[in-house]
Amino acid sequence: MCLAVPMKITRIDGFQCTCEARGVEREVSLFMLQDEELELGDNILVHVGYAIQKVSDEEAAESWALFDEILAATDG
Amino acid sequence: MHSAEHWLEALQGLELDQPVRIMNVCGGHERSISIAGLRTAIPGNIELVPGPGCPVCICPEEDVFEAIQLALNEDVTLVAFGDMLRVPVNVPKREPRSLEQARAAGGDIRPIASPTDAVRIAKEDPSRTVVFFAAGFETTTAPVAAMLAEGVPDNLLVLLSGRLTWPAVAMLLDSGTPGFDALIAPGHVSTVMGPEEWEFVVAKHGIPAAVAGFRPDTLLAAMYSVLRQRKEERLFLDNCYPEVVRPGGNPIARSQLDEVMQVVDANWRGIGIIPNSGYQLREAYAAHDARRVYRSYADDSRKRVGEMPPGCDCANVVLGKVYPNQCRLYGLACTPRKPVGPCMVSDEGACRIWWSAGYRDNEWEGRKTRQSVG
Ligand code: SF4
Repeated sequence: MCLAVPMKITRIDGFQCTCEARGVEREVSLFMLQDEELELGDNILVHVGYAIQKVSDEEAAESWALFDEILAATDG
Repeated sequence: MHSAEHWLEALQGLELDQPVRIMNVCGGHERSISIAGLRTAIPGNIELVPGPGCPVCICPEEDVFEAIQLALNEDVTLVAFGDMLRVPVNVPKREPRSLEQARAAGGDIRPIASPTDAVRIAKEDPSRTVVFFAAGFETTTAPVAAMLAEGVPDNLLVLLSGRLTWPAVAMLLDSGTPGFDALIAPGHVSTVMGPEEWEFVVAKHGIPAAVAGFRPDTLLAAMYSVLRQRKEERLFLDNCYPEVVRPGGNPIARSQLDEVMQVVDANWRGIGIIPNSGYQLREAYAAHDARRVYRSYADDSRKRVGEMPPGCDCANVVLGKVYPNQCRLYGLACTPRKPVGPCMVSDEGACRIWWSAGYRDNEWEGRKTRQSVG
């Protein structure tokens, strides 16, 4: 429940945005990042539907490599 | 950033002359450690101890019971994060012992993935009261605070069971027998609250500490950092996850938490009251506080009754006193398919994580608690 995942912003509408990661789209609240300059294409760390931090492309890609490994291990 | 191989070599090169126990306090860390097989990759005299990293596991029995009773006896929709639905409580035979069973018995209970789901469900039918049973550590409680700070419909109430992580570590350290020599501090809790929260571990207790991310390389970097700190007797709080964890954390999230909630003493399942370790809604949010609106459901008499299911050693697992497979039920009566205790229910419970990582042996025979060994 404490593990956040990085997602890419595809649409922003006030404090709400749509994000994408691994082909999955989700609505995410930006209410906890309201002081941050955010643009389409930025990566955010999402936890229970809320963005908790902005992250770089590099960090997002590396985290996903790890999650793929974890998912593969837990499914198997 | 160096690779995992680099850090493994660096760890080998440290040549520790005595065993060191490193505790982590995050289910995500424990999952990465177990799945990447770090325990067998690192030198044999480094012990990795899973500590209080599972909010579901320590959610007080009386809070889960309260949620079940509310869902069964009041005309409400009860929503909760999915993990909470399977957490068992102690009740007489044939009474619903989890929210899942209460749903089968007719309660309107729904799993949600986000506080925004709770808001949406409340908006769909303004005439119906929705109670959001919100258990979690800071990373999860901050979004609950953000939800309330942004404004929620009148018919949405929160049954709050939020907890802070650092006070449990402080309690272990204050006890004099913490069971660990170094600490890996949680990555996403620090993202929200700031790494500074963990400074007391170093400053007050002389225990080296490092914040880590979730990839094997950052976890190994944190292990190397704390061991080197120890070896060189140069202690400081290291941040091995600087890409994400910034000084001061997320200031907006912290101010929303502070606006909506206050920190109070709180009960931890099987462990007892830990000072300043829980969140409570402030007076200004009383109208949304299920504890104030449904006062009669808070049953203080439950606080001491059989807090863990009989035979379950989950509280000791959470405190790092025993390893999951040192519980006599591990893998026998208790598996993810038929969990006996919360540590086998939650994705962040050490028992569940060890089972999914493939630990199958039960070491209960000839068991010694880690503390009596150390
Ligand atoms: S294996 Fe099951 S019964 Fe034993 S401590 Fe873990 S959750 Fe409790």
